[in-house]
Amino acid sequence: MTSNALKISGLTRRFGSTVALDDFNLEVGIGELVALLGPSGCGKTTALRIIAGLEKEDAGRVYLGDVDITMRPANKRNMGMVFQSYSLFPNLTVEENVAFGLQMRKVNKSQRVNRAHELLELVGLNSQSKRFPHQLSGGQQQRVALARALAYEPEVLLLDEPLSALDAQVRANLREEIRRLQLALGTTTLFVTHDQEEAMSISDRVGVMNHGKLEQIADPNTLYNQPATAFVAGFVGVMNRIPTKSQNGYVNIFGKDYEAQFIGSVSEDVIALVRPEKISVHASTVNSNAKLLMKSFLGSSTQLTCQLSDGLVIHALSDSQECNNLELGSLITLQYNSKKALVGSV
Amino acid sequence: MAPLRTKKSTSLIARVFLVCVGILVCLPLIGAAEFSLREGGRTKHSFHAYRWIFEQEDFSKTLLTTLQISLVAVFVTFFLMVPTVAWLHIQGKRYLRFVEVLTVLPLIIPVVALATGAALALPAWIQSSKYILSMMYVVLAMPFTFRALDIGMRGRQLDILVAAARSLGAKWWSIIFMIITPIILKSIFASIFLTVALSLGEFTFAQLLHWSTFPTWVAVAAQGNILGATALSVSALLSAWLLLFSFTFFDRKKQNEAK
Ligand SMILES: Nc1ncnc2c1ncn2[C@@H]1O[C@H](COP(=O)(O)OP(=O)(O)OP(=O)(O)O)[C@@H](O)[C@H]1O
Ligand SMILES: [Mg+2]
Repeated sequence: MTSNALKISGLTRRFGSTVALDDFNLEVGIGELVALLGPSGCGKTTALRIIAGLEKEDAGRVYLGDVDITMRPANKRNMGMVFQSYSLFPNLTVEENVAFGLQMRKVNKSQRVNRAHELLELVGLNSQSKRFPHQLSGGQQQRVALARALAYEPEVLLLDEPLSALDAQVRANLREEIRRLQLALGTTTLFVTHDQEEAMSISDRVGVMNHGKLEQIADPNTLYNQPATAFVAGFVGVMNRIPTKSQNGYVNIFGKDYEAQFIGSVSEDVIALVRPEKISVHASTVNSNAKLLMKSFLGSSTQLTCQLSDGLVIHALSDSQECNNLELGSLITLQYNSKKALVGSV
Repeated sequence: MAPLRTKKSTSLIARVFLVCVGILVCLPLIGAAEFSLREGGRTKHSFHAYRWIFEQEDFSKTLLTTLQISLVAVFVTFFLMVPTVAWLHIQGKRYLRFVEVLTVLPLIIPVVALATGAALALPAWIQSSKYILSMMYVVLAMPFTFRALDIGMRGRQLDILVAAARSLGAKWWSIIFMIITPIILKSIFASIFLTVALSLGEFTFAQLLHWSTFPTWVAVAAQGNILGATALSVSALLSAWLLLFSFTFFDRKKQNEAK
């Protein structure tokens, strides 16, 4: 017995000389929303397509609950999928699109129409049920695609960057809607994206992928504050990489020593990994160690771009009120505000 | 942007152009139709020549044969070409250009060579059936049917639609009939029309393989009766137009339903 809804082990897939997936492992719990985050070309779509049965693996297994479904054809897997590009059937109405999965399952007409309307109600598109896909906006089309993928209560919902074709406002709204629906229906969901804000904001756990491998999987908070690898540290959120020296388990940042938390091997020449919000900025003429290059107002906070005397550019995040008096080009003092510091190898 | 031409003058030019083309196309047809209606002299008109057609015993016999042959050819084309071209668009995009070149071969290879090849290579049971011509017409029409279907599928993102349908639980035949066929209906009609038109007009193959079809009968009949032959070609043309119009009409109706 396991409590996993979905388990993937040792998945490998090559396209010619490119390795799209390299011994990829993942477990998704029942009712959990897991996001797969990674740079373009790291194998996210390939992983999702193999799970859905739309792509063949070279090696590895896919389990649905305790059942090995590696050999099961796509149309027997009972998974719902929403694609990156618009995928509604142009010859069918919105209602017929949503009911399509039920029609394939031989559900009778009145039942499937009822169910289609139920789901269209959930995504707020009941009034559009008689329209055709080309008469809808992009955001509406993806909502219908979501309703279509959920209509037959799939065991797993697979979302392949469903929001990437939409503009920022619609994206933000729709991602919250996806989360709301997912929680309401309790559907186990795997959500692929290369947008970290998207991944971090709605997921129970986020898996960071690189070069076809899972680098780390954890809840958003852990991922942000305790990255397991240098790649994760650099990929998730903004991270300053400051070359420095380590000695007896301590590293020097902006002239002061901090206890080092090593990611990877311990060595003398290291890179200190510092989040912008952990850096405080003060105006000063004596003991200054940097110069203010730019201020980007973000609302309640402001991003400060600073240059150390050795030329390295550092990003800091400051309360907008507090940094109001700092002038561009002025001399400043940077200070790292934490007891410990994450340290990666060069 | 500078206004190039007002809408009105553009539509006027378009209309004049249309009328000129119309006259160019219609005049010979009208002439032929008029000629086929003559009875003896220039002045007296009747459906004499058309009545003659129906009086010919072989007319209905050969027409029926040809229609049977073309029906089979249409079915084979549909069940062979639609899945093939669809597969090329879904999974075999890299073979698309190669197959496109391949489909031109029937235009390049002389018909005599094809006929000889068919007589040598195909199994005896099909050799002895008139439906060998259906197979040949499928091949002969391939340069056109392939292109019609190819164009219909281009830019339709069939790969994603098929992936979506598969994940929704659709079997392959449901995908072909419920998704692909409706989307490329226009192209399917076009290829059906092309196949039928080809079967109704193909002479060489039928002659070489010794089958008596509608075109071979027309060739014989035309030698004896010039008026009858003209009447035949006029009615063949009219039927072809009727077929085309019915497809267009059906398609319009579909589109109106969609609105
Ligand atoms: N059908 C294919 N043929 C050849 N190479 C492929 C194919 N599909 C994917 N690849 C390669 O496999 C790698 C992973 O592709 P994949 O589409 O999974 O990336 P991704 O993480 O989804 O990227 P993106 O964020 O850009 O969508 C890429 O290098 C890609 O070029
Ligand atoms: Mg992708």
